[in-house]
Amino acid sequence: MFSIYQRGQSVLNFAVTLVGFISAFIFITSLIQLQLTDSFHKDSSISTISTASSVKFSKRFGSVGGKAKENNKIVFDLQSDLTDLFNWNTKQVFVYLTAEYPGKTPESSNKVVYWDKIITSKEDANLTLTNERAKYSVWDVEESFKNRDATLKLEWNIQPYVGLLTYGETEGIGSFTFPDVTEEKPKSQKKKANRRKNN
Amino acid sequence: MLDLTNVRVQAHQALQLIYVVTSAYMFWKFLSLVSNSSSPIVVVLSGSMEPAFQRGDILFLWNRDTLNKVGDVVVYEIKDKVIPIVHRVVREHHSLSKQLLLTKGDNNPVDDLGLYAYNQMYLNSQNDLLGTVKGYFPLVGYVTILITENVYFKYALLGFMGITTLLGNE
Repeated sequence: MFSIYQRGQSVLNFAVTLVGFISAFIFITSLIQLQLTDSFHKDSSISTISTASSVKFSKRFGSVGGKAKENNKIVFDLQSDLTDLFNWNTKQVFVYLTAEYPGKTPESSNKVVYWDKIITSKEDANLTLTNERAKYSVWDVEESFKNRDATLKLEWNIQPYVGLLTYGETEGIGSFTFPDVTEEKPKSQKKKANRRKNN
Repeated sequence: MLDLTNVRVQAHQALQLIYVVTSAYMFWKFLSLVSNSSSPIVVVLSGSMEPAFQRGDILFLWNRDTLNKVGDVVVYEIKDKVIPIVHRVVREHHSLSKQLLLTKGDNNPVDDLGLYAYNQMYLNSQNDLLGTVKGYFPLVGYVTILITENVYFKYALLGFMGITTLLGNE
């Protein structure tokens, strides 16, 4: 009756069940911890220092067949303390700065990432960025997106050691309007940037 | 000449083997049905999402979201390329009828334009995705990597299975 095979089977079964329960316990308690620290409503402050659009012709910048494609970049300030997102089940936190803006028709909408960061330790989770440049040059599905208003938000994703991926966003909201195409920064915005620096 | 009891034992064992295989297959198809994805569990094969996902980790997919969000990790397939890719959505553009996505590996310096098909600028969330990653379990999938990439391991495993069936026979 008690063959090696059967013994192996029952040991394996027990081990799998146990690992399942332990994993579920680890994940659920980490969620409770996130709730207790109010992690889904973290403060943040986001402000746009300057924004500039230019025209690109390379495929790397979204141009198809060498046609002109409007590209936008921003410079921004950002402050947010995400230390509480780190608990026993946090392997990494991926933070990303998104801009949401309307499309041509009222039903359409767009959301793009200007900047992101992989944070792997608690010590690096208190973000303070000044005059930070966007990591990515952003283009739209259409040729141009000038004069549309964009809303900036800082969002995060917790990559767990085990369990479900957890998403959330911080409370702060920034905004800017996609400018006309220029090769250089408009003077007014440069002035604004200087004023902010002096403050 | 023919020992009937022996045949019966053999048939019973064969039946049990078939039972194991079919129940595994049914479980897989059931997951497929629930998640609406042709492969509801995938094993990570590349390091482009490190340190979040390492080779051998397994991911549970869900394919019933009507719209994907920026920040979602999706698994997509490109025409004429065999291996599905696990990357993060960094842009989404949607209207009532369709949604276009641009993806990027967290660990890669640039977006996935170079990985897409010739002249493809976006993924279509309806056609190109196998699903969105919802759950994660580390390391377990490394067995499949060992089986597919290491011949000795495959033979060792087959040998071990053969021996245990013989021993289990008594």
